[in-house]
Amino acid sequence: MERLLTVLLLLASSSMLMAADSYEPPRLANGLPDFNGVWQVLNTANYNLEAHGAQAAMAFREGPVVPVPAKEVVAIGAVGSVPAGLGVVQGGAIPYKRRALAQRDRNRSDWLASDPEIKCYLPGVPRANYMDFGFEIAHNSDALLFSYEYAGAVRNIHLSDPGPAPLDSWMGQSWLGWDGDTMVIETTGFNGQTWLDRSGNYHSDKLKVIERFTLTSAHTMHYEATLEDPTVYTRPWTISMPIYKRVAPDDRLMQFNCVEFVEELMYGHLRKNPLQ
Amino acid sequence: MKTLSLIFLAFILPLSATAQDWETPRMPWGDPDLQGSWNSSTLTGLERFDGIEELVVSEEEARRLELIDAGLQGEIDDFPAGDLPVGEVVGGYNSFWFERGNSLLRVRGEPRTSIIIEPENGRIPYTITGWSKYWLTMLKTQKRNNPEEQLLGDRCVVGFGSTGGPPMLPVLYNNNYQFVQTPGQVKILVEMNHAIRTIRLDGERLPEQIRPWLGDSIGHWEGDTLVVETTQFHPQQSLRGAIKHQLYVGLNSKVTERFTRIGEQEIVYEFTVEDDNIYRRPWRGELTFRPSDGQIYEYACHEGNYGLSGMLAGEREQGVGGLRWIYGLITNMPEEVSHKQLSNSRFDN
Repeated sequence: MERLLTVLLLLASSSMLMAADSYEPPRLANGLPDFNGVWQVLNTANYNLEAHGAQAAMAFREGPVVPVPAKEVVAIGAVGSVPAGLGVVQGGAIPYKRRALAQRDRNRSDWLASDPEIKCYLPGVPRANYMDFGFEIAHNSDALLFSYEYAGAVRNIHLSDPGPAPLDSWMGQSWLGWDGDTMVIETTGFNGQTWLDRSGNYHSDKLKVIERFTLTSAHTMHYEATLEDPTVYTRPWTISMPIYKRVAPDDRLMQFNCVEFVEELMYGHLRKNPLQ
Repeated sequence: MKTLSLIFLAFILPLSATAQDWETPRMPWGDPDLQGSWNSSTLTGLERFDGIEELVVSEEEARRLELIDAGLQGEIDDFPAGDLPVGEVVGGYNSFWFERGNSLLRVRGEPRTSIIIEPENGRIPYTITGWSKYWLTMLKTQKRNNPEEQLLGDRCVVGFGSTGGPPMLPVLYNNNYQFVQTPGQVKILVEMNHAIRTIRLDGERLPEQIRPWLGDSIGHWEGDTLVVETTQFHPQQSLRGAIKHQLYVGLNSKVTERFTRIGEQEIVYEFTVEDDNIYRRPWRGELTFRPSDGQIYEYACHEGNYGLSGMLAGEREQGVGGLRWIYGLITNMPEEVSHKQLSNSRFDN
């Protein structure tokens, strides 16, 4: 079954690439493909990059028959449950080293306290691209700026190799190269505190991400990201997915400054009169 | 002083002549090109320095003031020896953290003693209502009762003071802005708290129930000048407190900004703030943006915000009903925004 899935996935991705070959994208004044617009995925990768069935919640406790939602999340019922997904990892599973896999499992069982998304921390790369929010690419001959609705995260992308990042950061340091009409962005300089999804999949500060963005139609692009991190994975591995252009008239990125939304969670106990 | 102004005109005229010779670069689709990283650091404050009446001073006077300021640097770094006192204000940054430039603001070559150009006295013309709102909100920050009442910079919601604005005003550090243009919009990445302002050209306002941080900005070109009107401010963005400036912008205030690139190295930034309820009259200011080297780096504030929990926890540690804030009020109010070596009265001699 797994083999069949792999073959299907390979077929799907090669047909997509063929489509990309025949599609003539809109171009900037300098002849490069024009990626301007608001983009968003339609998948459940932010819940779990790997294949997963639907489940009651992200956080569980032992129940008398089966595990039940943790008490912190039980009140939101079906709104807090998880939709299924086929997974976006090429080959099916993330090739963790043995100890790293154990860490991933600890992350997963300690999700409420550990997922940086819960505290509205900057999402890192590639996670920012497949959250439940749009992101906007502002692109011209002299600038490339990715802005994300979630947490107002930003990637200010260098147009040539700037050398090693001067400091570690949440969103890393990115620079743009081109492979034909494919935008290739290499990102390093991470601080190792971001995750890859809500299921505890993670990386270290040694992560290097190579992303490939290829316009495949007026409304779609093919996205791939290869993650190299010798401290956590046995080999580089790749996720791939389509990303869709939002086409509603006058559509735009809205503001989701969640810092204010987590103040009760993070500082509520320090109020003069904490709420009961 | 009139003679001085005349001497000044002699200096300015050739400058503006050069400015006119300069041709505004354009984006491929024809809009004037404001792109790049820009910086607005300056020693000049929003409001007029105490003891100085004129908006514009001579180069000689400007250098004298700049030297006085440089002389205060040592005092800023002069921390008392030994353990810091318990339960008292222990000071904040040393000058290592500052990036406020070494010179007074110069707009079209003129040295300025305040960013505000109108009213003539260089002060925000609050109404009694505006003035009371400013102080009541500021007082609440000092009581440390709730996170929502602290300054926006301390909360890491947006940057300190009015760095993201509008009006976008220089603070103690991180006064960098990156402009990126696409057909139909101008984006300004504000370094402090990686805030993005999206200015939609000839766009329609957001529905009135949506009030974003930094407001809702709509722009248009008047010749080569980008004109931006901003309304619908977030209800918690009224108090803009920073060491470099403090102001209150009403929920329903309207800010109009004008960006004009007058040379390779210079964007003139003009703004007007209007609100009949908060101000006796509209007030105006001017600033200069100059090129900043390189790209803007990440400013992650919330992710390492030990300060806010420290401020709230410290207050709780002093016990319910702690009266430290009254002490603070008398001695050093408000402590986050006061810094005697940087106050407007430091040139008052």
